Amino acid sequence: MSRRLMVVAGLCLAAVPLVAQQQPPQGAPPAPPAPRAAAPIDLTGYWVSIVNEDWRWRMVTPPKGDYSSVPLNADGRKVADGWTPEMDGRCEAYGAAAVMRMPTRVHITWQDDNTLKVETDAGTQTRMLRFTTDPPPAQRSLQGFSVAAWEMAGGRGAGFPGGPGGGGGGGGRGGPPPPAGGRGGPRFGSLRVVTTNLTEGWLRKNGVPYSENATVTEYFDRFKSTNGDEWFMVTTLVNDPKYLQQEFITSSHFKKEADGAKWKPSACRTT
Amino acid sequence: MRTNYRNALIGLALAAGMLISRPASAQIDLSGVWAPLFHEDQPERAPGPEIGDYAGLPITDAARMRALTWDASLLTLPEHQCKPHPSTYGFRGVGNLRIWADLDPATQQLVKINTHIQWQEQKREIWMDGRPHPPDYAAHTWQGFSTGKWEGDTLVVTTTHLKVGWMRRNGLPLSDNATMEDRFYRHGDVLTHVSIVSDPYYLSEPLVKTNGFRLALNGRMDPYPCESVVEVVRPKGAVPNHLPGTNTAIEEYASKHNLPAEAARGGAETALPEFAEKIKTMKVPPPPSPSPPSK
Repeated sequence: MSRRLMVVAGLCLAAVPLVAQQQPPQGAPPAPPAPRAAAPIDLTGYWVSIVNEDWRWRMVTPPKGDYSSVPLNADGRKVADGWTPEMDGRCEAYGAAAVMRMPTRVHITWQDDNTLKVETDAGTQTRMLRFTTDPPPAQRSLQGFSVAAWEMAGGRGAGFPGGPGGGGGGGGRGGPPPPAGGRGGPRFGSLRVVTTNLTEGWLRKNGVPYSENATVTEYFDRFKSTNGDEWFMVTTLVNDPKYLQQEFITSSHFKKEADGAKWKPSACRTT
Repeated sequence: MRTNYRNALIGLALAAGMLISRPASAQIDLSGVWAPLFHEDQPERAPGPEIGDYAGLPITDAARMRALTWDASLLTLPEHQCKPHPSTYGFRGVGNLRIWADLDPATQQLVKINTHIQWQEQKREIWMDGRPHPPDYAAHTWQGFSTGKWEGDTLVVTTTHLKVGWMRRNGLPLSDNATMEDRFYRHGDVLTHVSIVSDPYYLSEPLVKTNGFRLALNGRMDPYPCESVVEVVRPKGAVPNHLPGTNTAIEEYASKHNLPAEAARGGAETALPEFAEKIKTMKVPPPPSPSPPSK
């Protein structure tokens, strides 16, 4: 009896700090931290795209009608076939669905506590990734209206069977995500961005189109390579009921640079 | 008194165990059959790369020289016909990918994550139980020796003990000193695989590649039996190759696609945005002359 009591008491005592951490303080619940403070990954800084995939379609303008591997439908192919080399360099190639696939440097900063600003030197574009529930504005644009949200690691409730703490426990289905990284440990997570309200643009420099009905979903993940270089990768899903037969999915990677010494804006043509 | 003291220690040990085993975060379930997406690098990954296309890859001069001596007829040799891809390339190849976990039946703890890619039955074991990598003299294999860990929801895998392999299927080699870190990111039903390959001989900097898979709920994995045969009768010991300086096909890729030869030769510089501007100042080789009419 005594042994059981001691064991139970020990377990209860050990659980106290965990429970205490999870209890909100008395009175009004604390306001959640602003997105800037809650960021599980730091995407700010200067980054350069490393173009070692789809090189022939990204580093040079492909010939007219080269839309291989893009799941265009018949309407999309018709529009792509209307492109002419004189249209090369136009700003349609730098819209939100394709600009992260360009050979470019990007400069990412916090515009304010709720807005990440992504600038590209290729095409001199600016994207605003807003942590907001506001509806999109009426006016469409090349960069559209981007709504951002952090996806904290462990917050989605799908634990790998048998993982530490396993059994699929995860972060608790339906509940708020746990604080990433727990008590002062490293934080992990991704940035999810959904962009709508676009004007028509191109998936490739040779006029492979996406329509104003396109929705662009992006996931930004950050990692360090074995030699210590810092990277972020963006997985881009373009859904366009007008010109695509299926979602067009690519992933692009960017290496961190120390500063903006190689930043070299070049404008695109509007006509 | 002694009993109470011992019991208290047991209680504290159990409590400490609870705290230590508490996960920093839950892990994403990667198990299932995943279909590769070919929306990027499709010509290289599906039908196969063109001879002499090394653009964007941070290769060394030694790698380029090896590639220029490579002859595609090598693959007709019986001993080359049933080779699987090395793990440094297989995730960019064709064929469905299945991922599943092996659990210790007594503790239900994760021991190993397995991957199986259909083409040539590439089976890989990723040890999750904290075991070390074997000593240097241990066998080198196509898939190498892999250990994994979780960084949040990301599976991070370190692979050593690889055989001599390839980074592209047009003769660009990887040495048996190559190592790889790969990372698996799941977002909904899309899995993005990142490979970071280092090679002290054939890469001037780590080669980072990313590509996607889509969860296939009705996905299947067929067997892939392979039996080698004599496809071409050759003298014993003959190995198709090009001696240095004799490969006449190396400029076909550049001229066919209207690219400067310097760009097609690859190197770390060719992956940078400023190289796009440099290309405009480079000379483009003339298009290949038409084949003479057959008699």
